[in-house]
Amino acid sequence: MTNADDRVPVVELEGIGKHYGNIRALHDVSLAVHEARVTCILGDNGAGKSTLIKIVSGLHGYDDGTYRVDGEPVRFASPRDALDRGIATVYQDLAVVPLMPVWRNFFLGSERTTGHWPLRRLDVRGMRATADAELRKMGIHLPDIDQPIGTLSGGQRQCVAIARAIYFGARVLILDEPTAALGVKQSGVVLKYVAAAREAGLGVIFITHNPHHAFLVGDHFAVLKHGEVELDAARDALTLDELTLHMAGGAELETLKHELERVDSPGLGALPQPSGTA
Amino acid sequence: MKKRNRVSSLAALAAAALLAIAGCSGSGGKEAQEGSGGIGAGTADTPRLRVAMITHAAPGDTFWDLVRKGAEAAAAKDNVELLYSADPEAGQQANLVQNAIDQKVDGIALTLAKPDAMTGVVRKAEAAGIPVVGFNSGLDDWKGMGLLQYFGQDEAIAGKQFAERLNELGAKRAICVNMEQGHVALEARCGGLRDNFDGKSETLYVNGQDMPAVQSTIQAKLQQDPDIEYVVTLGAPFALAAVQSVADAGSSAKVATFDTNKDLVKAIKDGDVQFAVDQQPYLQGYLAVDSIWLYRHNGNFSGGGEQPVLTGPAFITKDNIDSIAEFAENGTR
Amino acid sequence: MTQAVQPAPAPAPPEPGHAQAGRRSVGKRFFGRPEVGSLMGAVAVFVMFFVIAEPFRHAASLSTVLYASSTIGIVTVGVALLMIGGEFDLSAGVAVTTSALTAAMFAFEFTTNVWVGIVVALALSLGIGMFNGYVLIRTRLPSFLVMLSTFLMLQGLNLAVTKLVSGGVATDSIADMDGFDSARAVFASALTIGAVSVKVTVFWWLAFVAIATWVLLRTKVGNWIFAVGGQADSARAVGVPVKRTKIGLFMTVGFTAWFAGMHKLFAFNTVQSGEGVGQELIFIAAAVIGGCLLTGGYGSAVGAAIGAFIFGMTGQGIVYAGWNPDWFMFFIGATLLAATLLNLWVRNRAARR
Repeated sequence: MTNADDRVPVVELEGIGKHYGNIRALHDVSLAVHEARVTCILGDNGAGKSTLIKIVSGLHGYDDGTYRVDGEPVRFASPRDALDRGIATVYQDLAVVPLMPVWRNFFLGSERTTGHWPLRRLDVRGMRATADAELRKMGIHLPDIDQPIGTLSGGQRQCVAIARAIYFGARVLILDEPTAALGVKQSGVVLKYVAAAREAGLGVIFITHNPHHAFLVGDHFAVLKHGEVELDAARDALTLDELTLHMAGGAELETLKHELERVDSPGLGALPQPSGTA
Repeated sequence: MKKRNRVSSLAALAAAALLAIAGCSGSGGKEAQEGSGGIGAGTADTPRLRVAMITHAAPGDTFWDLVRKGAEAAAAKDNVELLYSADPEAGQQANLVQNAIDQKVDGIALTLAKPDAMTGVVRKAEAAGIPVVGFNSGLDDWKGMGLLQYFGQDEAIAGKQFAERLNELGAKRAICVNMEQGHVALEARCGGLRDNFDGKSETLYVNGQDMPAVQSTIQAKLQQDPDIEYVVTLGAPFALAAVQSVADAGSSAKVATFDTNKDLVKAIKDGDVQFAVDQQPYLQGYLAVDSIWLYRHNGNFSGGGEQPVLTGPAFITKDNIDSIAEFAENGTR
Repeated sequence: MTQAVQPAPAPAPPEPGHAQAGRRSVGKRFFGRPEVGSLMGAVAVFVMFFVIAEPFRHAASLSTVLYASSTIGIVTVGVALLMIGGEFDLSAGVAVTTSALTAAMFAFEFTTNVWVGIVVALALSLGIGMFNGYVLIRTRLPSFLVMLSTFLMLQGLNLAVTKLVSGGVATDSIADMDGFDSARAVFASALTIGAVSVKVTVFWWLAFVAIATWVLLRTKVGNWIFAVGGQADSARAVGVPVKRTKIGLFMTVGFTAWFAGMHKLFAFNTVQSGEGVGQELIFIAAAVIGGCLLTGGYGSAVGAAIGAFIFGMTGQGIVYAGWNPDWFMFFIGATLLAATLLNLWVRNRAARR
């Protein structure tokens, strides 16, 4: 463990709140993301995870609280603004444009050009070579860099998106449920790249509802529930069982267990007691 | 910023270029047209009538525009409030007639492009005591449906006379350019032409919505069959396109047409188009409205309920063009 | 900390014989192009008419076919780009007429040089495109609804304004006005190549296709067009200006409609206000036959041009072949269906390779 927590966090949320009409999506959410650390955000469907990342990534604004990048308060008007500050997001389902070639996806929105107007054109050769080299660095070998990205497996697509974010100088990488739609093996591949991104010095925000995946790579864990932070703990203050229990609903699960015991379901052992919550 | 500068300088350049050529046109245009008035006359002092004219006109057709102008001229003269409406779809046209009945108009002038669809509403108008006059289409049906009178041209007769004219000219090979496949009146014209022509006449269907397509299809036909001597079109704008097709195909074919408009008159004058057969749409519209006025105020009706009043066919050639040119310029022929 | 974390992935050993990221074989790349299916269809239609219709074989006939194709093809370029960008424009057919009417009436009513009318019409056409795009993006209604509304509104405006301004339903001839000859040279002249006269629209068409292809494949904007059509949300998330791209595409359609309108005006001197209805479907069909996906994100300008060529060839070929004209529409439909099926078959074969 380094003294990362003493330095200024790259991304810091303090008391963030967000309403959609009179529906409260987030309330008093605080979070700090440091360089070379993986911060996992867990929560059930509808807990406010996606609202949170949309705010961090600049897609949505926020109503209360403060959002700081490098200690400086910010309000992003668009994802472009967030990108310019080094905050890149890899979405679960909309990470790429399926029908476009891999290299075009890699450089989408940040295309390289050559020549002068009116003959300014895409540097196709350079972009193809770079995309190929960068993917190789991440251990992805494609038979054809021109193939539509939709023909890659789900895990490979996530990896291309991650490689893209790293290449374009992301300092903070937001991963939205990168393993949700993947099988065991594919998930493993993606988790390796999450670790690789951390080794490269990036701050990673890893959104998931799978505590096992989170615990494999996470340094810090936050559990959201009904738009509020229910648990905020460093890795060394937590066990996988505790995290699983929080994720699964904690007290509610205990009640459910009692109800099930009354109908004599066999084979239910004692659930571990939650402890060490922040 | 650099980009913006370029854009604004481009805009400035364009504006400057525009100013440079903005000077007024030395020839043609509105200024040359001014000073030519429409038909004008005094107004009748009879009580105001409301007459509905309901046609199957497709929007934007020059022919129907002339019909309407004739009707408007009669309405202005006769102190009639004209309610003009049109829909090419028979069911919709019937609804418009019903609409006029509901408004309790003093008379209805109606085209019978699809007579069966009109039978019901015509009966209702009769029941409501509203006189109904037929015009333009429905020569075979107006009597049976109990209409008061009819103004129009027999399309088959027009086709026949057209054929006889071609026979006189010694033509052996002609095409009849139809811009709307399945249109009863247009098919009747081509049919009348085919049945009475001594030579061989073929129908060519073109897409009337797209002038370049009309031109190239006629051109293709001329290239396919170099023996064609006459291109017969069923509407004035198509005759002008055919003139270009003939020129582009390097063919020696001549162009003749049904119906007229302003530009066609000029083309006849210049010899680009040989002749036109006119059913006098202005006259149809005028008579239809005027006849209702006469019936309402004096009980007159034409043809004794038995015979139609034929408004055509009238031949327009280089010989008589001068007497028509002036009116065509006003947009009433 | 991080006991459970696996070490960073070591680069996998390079596969033998696969040191460089290869490209697929030439053949596979060729068959993977969006326009290949339509090219096969075009060749099939061409061969068919070449065999059965003697007049079709002359160079002059090819010129006629190309002219018919070009008047469809010019607008199809814009429509195809828009379709790749994931939107539809049902108003393109009547927008052509709107543009021509505007130029003719403006020049005539104010008795100006016709070039003034041309520039006014261009501004209006681009404005209509911008309006379409803006309304679509602001309201987020389906493009079909917005475009149907624009289509109906323009159709009505064409008639009403023409009637209001000129008193008739067709514009007055502007053939005797200043600037007409130079405008005609630009929009509706013919060039003689060898013994054959070729309409200038053919060259404009090819030029527009070339420019559109270059923009699509070799510029940032082209990348953005594919992206906004393929997955607008992804595109927005990586910083592509989705709104500007879409509005720009609608304006491109406006530009091509303007050009086609100017051709109509200067080829025929006057314009009928009711023209153009139904043409929008032909443009869309040509783009789809050319391999543009109706759902967006895929297609090519060259393919759209081939689609327009198939339309032009079929329409004229039936006449050259001297088939019974009563069946004209049927033959057009059947040929298009056959071309489309062939297209589909080729694409499926390519996908299976």
